Amino acid sequence: MRRVAVTGIGIVSPLGHTAAELFDAARNGRSGVHRLDIAGAERLTAPLAATVQFDSSAFFEPARERLLDRVSQFAVVAAARAFADARCELTDHERGHAGVFLGTGMGGTLTVDDGYQTLYGEHSDRTHPMMILKGMHNAPAAWIGIEHGLRGPNLTYSTACSSSSVAIGEAWLRVAYGTLDVAVAGGAEAPLSLGSLKAWGAMHTLASVDTADPASSCKPFAKNRSGLVLGEGAALVILEPWERATARGATIHGELIGYGLTTDAGHIARPSLDGQAAAMRAALAAACISSQEIDAINAHGTGTQANDSVETAAIKLVFGERAPRIPISATKALHGHLLGAGGALEFVLSLLALKNNVALPTMHLKIPDPECDLDYVPNVARGGAAGRTMLSNSFAFGGTNAVLAVRAVH
Amino acid sequence: MTTTDRIRAMLVKDYKIDPDRLTSDARLEDLGVDSIGVAELMFNIEDEFRVTLPDEQVRLSTLGDVVNYIDTLVARQESAPEKPTAMGGTVLGTGVGTGVGTGMVNTRPAS
Repeated sequence: MRRVAVTGIGIVSPLGHTAAELFDAARNGRSGVHRLDIAGAERLTAPLAATVQFDSSAFFEPARERLLDRVSQFAVVAAARAFADARCELTDHERGHAGVFLGTGMGGTLTVDDGYQTLYGEHSDRTHPMMILKGMHNAPAAWIGIEHGLRGPNLTYSTACSSSSVAIGEAWLRVAYGTLDVAVAGGAEAPLSLGSLKAWGAMHTLASVDTADPASSCKPFAKNRSGLVLGEGAALVILEPWERATARGATIHGELIGYGLTTDAGHIARPSLDGQAAAMRAALAAACISSQEIDAINAHGTGTQANDSVETAAIKLVFGERAPRIPISATKALHGHLLGAGGALEFVLSLLALKNNVALPTMHLKIPDPECDLDYVPNVARGGAAGRTMLSNSFAFGGTNAVLAVRAVH
Repeated sequence: MTTTDRIRAMLVKDYKIDPDRLTSDARLEDLGVDSIGVAELMFNIEDEFRVTLPDEQVRLSTLGDVVNYIDTLVARQESAPEKPTAMGGTVLGTGVGTGVGTGMVNTRPAS
């Protein structure tokens, strides 16, 4: 097996457009969540979201821009930023084999929502000819491949909220086992259509508005948590073999050392303690390390009643008596739940936490829950606490649990 | 406004193309509008000219080709008996396209 280096980071997020902006907001607890102002927002029980400030015309020629759903625009911009950060000039031969691994839960749902509004809402037969090409789930990955001429595997993973952790993990497997030398991997999501928000709301999974401070509506692991807040964005990383990265003098952000993947095969929506614990153990096994070596965890931490208590129990199961001493960060309180891009964004935050040796805070955790009694780094970042090795957890509707193990370079 | 003026106005507004480049012999591909883009452009032309494109393959390489094609369709619409559509326009032609062009710029992208 080969060691795998992360040499490029590309971000399009509610907390900023660079790794530095993202990390600064996460460390200082600046929330990207706000009241949502879209057409029909008054029909939402809790009109909240974490949105991205994004002017697509700054990145695309108009003729191209019109062919890309917002999710593909995010993906293409984040991938370009990742390659730029990696200072990775690929030869034609390398492009012929390089891979794209992208997670998305809802693909081009804005395009689809718009198309159905025309068809059903307006009773018009004027279906837009780009509806399929913009709406299909593999469009974001395809456009990354087109933009950079990457002709190796181009794969899209859709396992709901763990999609991009799966994408990064599957890319890691290929790079680690020697079948791929360069991969761009991560996730993209642009789910903030009225239809999507109504559907998520109908499941009673969305946070209610904190009227005193809407930005703090998502409260992972708190007693008064009321659900998740949807977010949008993309996070892509460049993975390459350690030796290749060092040989070309690349800046290495961190090392991806393991990936655990399990499936609950139980309930379609209810999280499984055993499934989550098994995924963490699988990541440790893949990394060939014991649980003793994990210094901190970026939790899935959605802010729903079910996830946070089950994840707490799963961490206890894996780490035993050490569990209360492991700093656990739930950054979704700030950037919202990016669904198919969430795992990738949190993987990047884990890299940055390690790089800066700062355990990121779980914000809006003012009222502790007796069921969630671990160290969630409440409300204030903790310097010197991220240590050397972290897990980044992603769990999903459908039961696909994906955990990435990441190690600092220092 | 002539057909040329109207289509040029669309390309300037929607595709932000420099009007000086919009000559009759300008190739659409060179203007950044590839075969998929042409399909989208024709969809918007349907709205602008209130016509429905027939399901047929046509070679539309240049701006002049588009203008001539639309003029032909509009002339056909004016001489043909009206058949109302959902958008209040008129259906023109009944040809069935294969969707796969052989050297043709197709208004319908292949799957």
